[in-house]
Amino acid sequence: MALKVGSDDLVENPTPRVPVSLCVDTSLSMEGDKILELVRGVNVFLDTVDGDDDAHDAAEISIVEFNSVARLIQDFASVDRLQRVNAITPAGATCMGEGVNLALDTLENRKAMYSGSGVLYYQPWLVLMTDGQPNGSQAEFERAVQRVVSMVTAKKLTVFPIGIGADADMAALARFSPNRPPLRLKGLNFKEFFEWLSRSVSRVSKSTPGDTVKLDLSGLAGWAEL
Amino acid sequence: MLLDPAEYVRPGCRLFIDTNIFMDVDPARKGRLKRLFERCAERIIAYHNPVIVPVKIIDELTKQSRMGRAGLPEDRASAVDKAKKALELLDDAESMGLVRKDLGDHSNPYADDLFVRVFERFADQFEMCLLTSDVTLLIRIRMLAGSTGHKLLAGQLTQDGMIQVASFQDLLRRGQSKLRRKQEEGDRREVEELEPLLADFQRLFAAELAAERRIRAAGTARQARTARTATTARRGVANAFRPATELREPDRALNVGHIPGEGEEVLIESPLGSGTLFLGAPLGEGGEGTVFPVGGGWVVKIFDREHITQHRKEKVSLLVSRGFRHPGICFPQALVTNRAGQFVGYLMPEAKGREFQRTIFNPRRFKQAYPDWKKTDLVDVCISFLEKVAYLHTRNIVLGDINPKNLMVDAGKEVWIIDADSWQLEGYPCPVGTPMFTAPSALGKPYSDSLRTMEEERFAVATMLFMILITGQFPYARAGSDGDIVRLIQEGNFAFQYRENSNRDQPDGNWKYMWSHLQPGIKGLFWNTFHRDGDRYGRRPSAEEWLRAFRGYKRWLDSGTNFDPISNDVYPTRYRAMAADTPIYECAECGTSMVGKWNPNTETYSTPKHCRDCQQNLPKCLDCGKKAATLSEGRCRECNRQRKYGNCAGCGKQTRRDHLVDDRCSNCQLVTCGECGQGAYKSQMSNGHCPACESRAHMLDSSRLCTRCGRPFITLGNVAWHQRAYKPVPDSHKVGDPDCVAPVPAAERYDWWAHPAPAAQESLLSRLTQWWRDA
Repeated sequence: MALKVGSDDLVENPTPRVPVSLCVDTSLSMEGDKILELVRGVNVFLDTVDGDDDAHDAAEISIVEFNSVARLIQDFASVDRLQRVNAITPAGATCMGEGVNLALDTLENRKAMYSGSGVLYYQPWLVLMTDGQPNGSQAEFERAVQRVVSMVTAKKLTVFPIGIGADADMAALARFSPNRPPLRLKGLNFKEFFEWLSRSVSRVSKSTPGDTVKLDLSGLAGWAEL
Repeated sequence: MLLDPAEYVRPGCRLFIDTNIFMDVDPARKGRLKRLFERCAERIIAYHNPVIVPVKIIDELTKQSRMGRAGLPEDRASAVDKAKKALELLDDAESMGLVRKDLGDHSNPYADDLFVRVFERFADQFEMCLLTSDVTLLIRIRMLAGSTGHKLLAGQLTQDGMIQVASFQDLLRRGQSKLRRKQEEGDRREVEELEPLLADFQRLFAAELAAERRIRAAGTARQARTARTATTARRGVANAFRPATELREPDRALNVGHIPGEGEEVLIESPLGSGTLFLGAPLGEGGEGTVFPVGGGWVVKIFDREHITQHRKEKVSLLVSRGFRHPGICFPQALVTNRAGQFVGYLMPEAKGREFQRTIFNPRRFKQAYPDWKKTDLVDVCISFLEKVAYLHTRNIVLGDINPKNLMVDAGKEVWIIDADSWQLEGYPCPVGTPMFTAPSALGKPYSDSLRTMEEERFAVATMLFMILITGQFPYARAGSDGDIVRLIQEGNFAFQYRENSNRDQPDGNWKYMWSHLQPGIKGLFWNTFHRDGDRYGRRPSAEEWLRAFRGYKRWLDSGTNFDPISNDVYPTRYRAMAADTPIYECAECGTSMVGKWNPNTETYSTPKHCRDCQQNLPKCLDCGKKAATLSEGRCRECNRQRKYGNCAGCGKQTRRDHLVDDRCSNCQLVTCGECGQGAYKSQMSNGHCPACESRAHMLDSSRLCTRCGRPFITLGNVAWHQRAYKPVPDSHKVGDPDCVAPVPAAERYDWWAHPAPAAQESLLSRLTQWWRDA
């Protein structure tokens, strides 16, 4: 039954979709306030998107967490079928490559489903958030970087690599984003970031696929245009 | 005011003639009908739009012409002549295709009611004009036009074949003098009708006058109803912009000082005067500016700094100076400047309703916004949209950026067109666009770098019409594509099914059902316009052509040729019935409408009992997994048969498995013969004996001879039976048994074996033959 509802949902809404993949670090180093703020920020994001008329119909969100393993917490779904994220207990290492690969795989599946049904969609977004250095499999990491870079260059993906805190490995993050430098989050200002993100989703969905959308600049230098 | 009747035989217009025009004997107006037809004939033929003379009028003329001339006063007699002549003229005109006399019926008691009713009924479909000299009728039509806001006219026919439309004052005066005359004549009926009519008319007229005065005082343009009923269309077309072919010099930003905001004062300039206005709280913020209310149903759009440019200023000035008006189009009516007199925006009427994007371009939103709307309401929205687009196109204005955020609709199905500053006119391009609505020839280059062609505009019009009817779905959406809108448009692969051109890639969901229920003519226009193999792909239908088609669609929805009852639903749940005789019935489970499916092999319709959804919800057989309506023990009939029945190894018959022993049915069981003790199949047994024993039992026992005839008489079986029953075995045939024949006496019997044949000359054969003969 649940599956049937999902496919109705996909097919009945003709709005071109904005697939947003949140790929977050839940390793041990995120313990404490960091993880609390992150979870709260994600929920703020979902709430804001839910509340915005345009974003509501367009956004589809998936959440991947990575620590010692990569796990799909939430597959792509429109915001009214999503439950808010519960508290996450951070533990383990930082397998960033595995996380990104899982996020990309989930994205590919979703795009295949869009194509199969004839649903239109915009360039997908990948939001990568980590506070430390990647210490998972090197091969996986390299594969992830290569996939992301080739998609960005072919204009098939937009990446937001975000470093949390002082220990974040900005160099590693920079490898994912060939066009723009990665962003370092101010303190633990997840909420502000996610509010900006949902406003951006709304702006994209107000335009039509193929337009270049001017993102709101405040506090995000280097991200003038999508 | 004089109007050319040729304007009213254009498509979308209808011209009517009342009896009194024919019956007018005034020599000053002789020959005017002839002139009328001379003016109109060419257009009538070209547009197949003849002048209408209703049946009722013909009846009246016929009645007049049949009256005997003798004994009548002069004027009555010439009236009879006139009627005869009129009928002749009409016959001629009809045979030339200039007139049609077949509309209406004979039932209306009064012809004047007829026209008012006809005009009321068709007001939203056609612009109509009635030629009559009856003041009452002229007034009634004028009031109808005023109250409905539609283009309805009534006027007299001049000598020169032109239509004379009287002014308000004129009509009022003539109406009043007619009233006086009727009162003197004592014509009660006329007085009763005319008196209240004039009172209403005067009230209406007074409101018009007052409104005019008020608006002029505010310094903004006139928006009197009189302007509309007198059809400025004619004046407007003469006032159209030049169809420019050259792109103007590139745009440049203007240097502006202060940009006014909420609560501040702005200056307005228009051809009718100037003044100041205060900006209220912002109504909305678009991509280029902000809209503020200023009272009285007017709003002011103030541009953002970077959008105050030369082109915009000149465009707005041009539009303001022309003074166009049309309900539902937010024409700039005045230029707005800051205190220093620098251009910052413009004044326009406030649009009603909400954006298409928010209301009808998404099924969920549509069902929330207008749950009671049917297909015919969406068709009305399309017609409202098309009328305005046609209006702009005839004035050489190209909208350019037709998209669901520039169009508003209200519950009354009136469409509002906003964002006039983005239109293209006189060489000033439309600097913005939306890829979804951009024709292949214009994709891939910046919008402001070239002038949109009419072909490209028509692409956007067609796309918008499609998306209104199919509530938000993109025409080129296709299963198996990668969602790249630009590429989909360029490929021109329209996926929806039309006639034999089935494309397997119709997008998932109910969209294909919605498409299938569109009127066939409309589908044809869409398919041929959107599909690259269609014959309208390069010469797309104009707004006028769509307008005709959609008006026809509306009529079709109500008519009998539309045989599928759910074609008026916005979201039908199944394909359209193929033909009028296709069975339409309901699902046995949930009652949704279902339609029989044509099987070309059997040439019949198959009518499955359940709809697809209920079919899916049917319980599944445990064994084979197929859905079935009735399951016994969790399994479908087939599997149950499989499970419970098997074939007997002996006879092959289908038998219940629990009746099979050793894979054999009861008939094929191995049993021992009662006689010989051998194994045999039960089916072969008879009387408990195997076939061998049974046949033996039927053999005559040769050791027992009948005591009377001396021959074997009793079967072995019979012997055994007696023995088993401990009965004495009979020793002879039953008495009277015909088989019991007394033997031939011994003497005559020649025992061959006892007496070998003597060695005689005669051969054995001849002696035998002899014996045979003798015996």
